[in-house]
Amino acid sequence: MALREPAWRVTARELETSLEEEKGTGERAASHLLSPFGARMNRVLVAGTLSPAEPIGRDEAQTFWRARLADPTGAVAVTAGSFQPRAMAQLRSATTPRSAVVVGKVHLYRDRSGVGYVSVRAEALRSVSEVEERSVLADAVRQTLDRLDLVERIEKGTALSDAEARTEGLPVAWVHAARDALRRYPQVDRAAFRRELKAAVRRVAGDSGPVPRPPSPSVTIVRAPPPRAPPPTPTPAERAEESVFLDLLDEVAEVSADGYADLKELLARVAERGVVPGRAEATLNRLEEEGVVEEPIVGKLRRA
Amino acid sequence: MPPEAPPDGPPEVRLRDLAPSPGSVEFVARVVSVERREVTRRSDGSRRPLLSGLVSDGTATVRFTWWDPPREGVERGTVLRVVGAEVREFRGRPELTFSWKTRIGPASPAELPRLDPEEVPFRSVKELAPPAEGFRTEVRVVRVGPRSVSVGEERRIVFDGLVADRTGAIALSSWSDFGLAEGEAIRILGGYVRGFRGRPQLVLDERSSVQRIDGADLPEPAEWLRASPRSIAQVEDEGGGAAVSVEGIVVGLLPPSGLVYRCPTCHRSVKSGICRVHGQVTGQADLRARIVLDDGTGALTVHAARPDTERLWGVTLEECRARLRDLPDPSVLEEQLLEALLGRRLRVRGAGSKDDFGVTLTPESIEAVEIDLDAAATELAARLPEDR
Repeated sequence: MALREPAWRVTARELETSLEEEKGTGERAASHLLSPFGARMNRVLVAGTLSPAEPIGRDEAQTFWRARLADPTGAVAVTAGSFQPRAMAQLRSATTPRSAVVVGKVHLYRDRSGVGYVSVRAEALRSVSEVEERSVLADAVRQTLDRLDLVERIEKGTALSDAEARTEGLPVAWVHAARDALRRYPQVDRAAFRRELKAAVRRVAGDSGPVPRPPSPSVTIVRAPPPRAPPPTPTPAERAEESVFLDLLDEVAEVSADGYADLKELLARVAERGVVPGRAEATLNRLEEEGVVEEPIVGKLRRA
Repeated sequence: MPPEAPPDGPPEVRLRDLAPSPGSVEFVARVVSVERREVTRRSDGSRRPLLSGLVSDGTATVRFTWWDPPREGVERGTVLRVVGAEVREFRGRPELTFSWKTRIGPASPAELPRLDPEEVPFRSVKELAPPAEGFRTEVRVVRVGPRSVSVGEERRIVFDGLVADRTGAIALSSWSDFGLAEGEAIRILGGYVRGFRGRPQLVLDERSSVQRIDGADLPEPAEWLRASPRSIAQVEDEGGGAAVSVEGIVVGLLPPSGLVYRCPTCHRSVKSGICRVHGQVTGQADLRARIVLDDGTGALTVHAARPDTERLWGVTLEECRARLRDLPDPSVLEEQLLEALLGRRLRVRGAGSKDDFGVTLTPESIEAVEIDLDAAATELAARLPEDR
């Protein structure tokens, strides 16, 4: 029987940059998300400003709610569904942004182009005072720095055995995660990340200016895909297909309950207009690459 | 074999040195516990009486079986000289069998093997694990107090506490009054270690001896009581301990938390009006919180009893029952309790034990902690690179 997974103290920025997923094997095995900074996360504890939640999906019986939790380093989506009724009620309870702490499981979704979106599925969350939020943020920064120090020590060649880690009072799991982070994220600029923590420290100190809204959507490709040749300029025929595609997308989205265009339905409609399925996919990919259309949920499209 | 054995008769052994052998042994020991039983012979169905229990000579405690004992039996505490006992091994430990060939007579406590403290192996607290015995140890009494317990029919006073040296701390349970006081440094001989609720416990009784020592190198009680918290990962690694201090944030509650009902006789929790031991009972309302405390390195469960739960929640048992009258749904109470505790920073001191689900802490104290944010910010800023 495995022990309860600890709630890693991380900043939103670290979650945004984490893209190495480890699926557990065996019955009821936990999955983990390895960060570039030495966290092997299944559960996390995060604090920040939580936006009002919006519903996702059109199925009335299986509602799912999503909000954004922003701290001075970045932002991450927080979700709760009917399997987390208390967390869902909490998530829905606010109509204005508020300070909150969230305990939840990390979740990585990759779209077709390989871009990863990290979200936190809330197990429990609570609105807190600003002081409490800053105090949890202080923990996150301290433990992040501890982990960064550890990663850098190992990078410099310290062979830290489990026994040595115990003598130093370092969690053995941290040492293993630090070692794996170095191996799996060879290109990451950890010094830049350390600098980014400054904003969080200013917030701990009470610099309570508005939390800067991070760029949206907050996505970082850490392991950069091989550079692609610039896409050829679409031909007039392709441009025509794109406009047909977008018109249909708007039509489908218009009548749907959740405001998204269902991918299957859209492709069916495109086919009715005589576009070959292969061409429709190519058009969609092009539109996504150009940032005209996005697919925030699998199978659900909207204009970006 | 001890060199001072008398030249006439078989050599006397110490129980510590018992080994299974075809021959028989002679020893002097005290009866620690005894119980009369009867077994039914398979051949003719007749009943054959026997005594079984434990004997100890200060070097070891050994189980014995005494076939066809005297009708009047033998009392706990009696010192016996036993000549011609057989030694057998059961599950890797020696056991003694007294049969018609064995001669058993009373002896005086003076005849018990004289133990030179130097001759008994020294054990530090860290090395004390069940079923250790026949050791000496030197510890500081961190705290001690009497408690009345019922043993079968009788009430007895047991002195419970905590003792420690530089290597660790261990729970103490003394069945004999040695006049122990907090802060004393003592040398203990003739104690033994047993597992109690998953934790080792050092047990003293009338066979044990306690000697006051200087103990300059032993920690002061305050060092244990105000020990700074350690990481939960470390506590998980060590499997708990008699004096654990941790600090973390409440990340959840485990059921049952909130309003619970307990058996009026044994205080076990009552489910659907049924106590596991006493059957159908009218449960008594109680408050508790099974708090999941997490410090980022690990998580453990803190079993908070009613006083701590009421204090942390700010709601009393009476108020809970009143709320329940307005809204008869106990799960709402649990939600309200979680709402009050989630995200709170607590420092907990107590005894921890580990099982398959992790470490559980029985708290001695739970304090809410507030951190100095300005100091934290200064400390953290110093760890970041300078602005160019």
